[in-house]
Amino acid sequence: MSIRDLVPFRRRGSLRRWDEPVRSFFEEVEELFDRFFGDYELEPVRERWGLFTPKVDFTEDDKEYRITAELPGMNEKDIEVTMDEHSITIKGEKKEDKEDKGKNYYYRERRYGSFTRTIPLPEDVDVDKVEAKFKNGVLTLKLPKTGTGRSIKKIEIKS
Amino acid sequence: MATKELIKRTETSTERVQKKRKRIPHVDVIENQNEYILYADLPGVEEKGLDVTLEKEVLTIKGEAREEVPEGYTPRFTEFSPSIFERSFSVSDEIDRDKIKATIKNGVLKLVLPKAETAKVKKIEITQG
Repeated sequence: MSIRDLVPFRRRGSLRRWDEPVRSFFEEVEELFDRFFGDYELEPVRERWGLFTPKVDFTEDDKEYRITAELPGMNEKDIEVTMDEHSITIKGEKKEDKEDKGKNYYYRERRYGSFTRTIPLPEDVDVDKVEAKFKNGVLTLKLPKTGTGRSIKKIEIKS
Repeated sequence: MATKELIKRTETSTERVQKKRKRIPHVDVIENQNEYILYADLPGVEEKGLDVTLEKEVLTIKGEAREEVPEGYTPRFTEFSPSIFERSFSVSDEIDRDKIKATIKNGVLKLVLPKAETAKVKKIEITQG
């Protein structure tokens, strides 16, 4: 890390890397935050702008992959899951209770709105056997492995 | 962050909690004529894992998310992991403590805190003199 990296605020433009001339403003802001706060837990930029983005965990064991997404206050009907060979997409809208609109708020931190998250998938997912379950505001996707994916192969080193 | 604080945090997290992360839930608090309503996003938490306490003037919400990831799973990437949500609020005497109601649905806690009779806005009728 150079000393320049420690300086959080610089003139716009100097933040751009020479190899990525077209970067969105959002990415720039995110990078700026990340640099400033190090590895502190940070909300995605979308949330800082007041939009809802579900948090996602992706884990695996020998037999399957599991994707869990936090969608508090939603139900099955609000969520749509689609997939193709390479990725799975979770789409939905978190709606605000109508009865609460226009009332006196002391705190207002919960986020609403529509969202889309696309998660790239490994090659060995058995696309036909994917299961989705929704409980307690958490969506769980089980993606069995076909078992024919790229296996680890040890390469012998010759002297 | 100060190193001391970091060490303290690591120590407490290795006790019972193990891998569970502590998080501050997002809340909405609304006031209407007769009550305060608090909503807290607690994804993964059900009645069993939820603890709402009112001690003196501190209202504490604590929710433990059900184990989402069974043993033996390795993470590829994680943004939340199994979590413990905790947050405290100070509560005034204006609240009728005996009538607080808590419900949880789809990972959202709804707490209804009725105002005490004395705190309610009363309309005073004006009679012709």
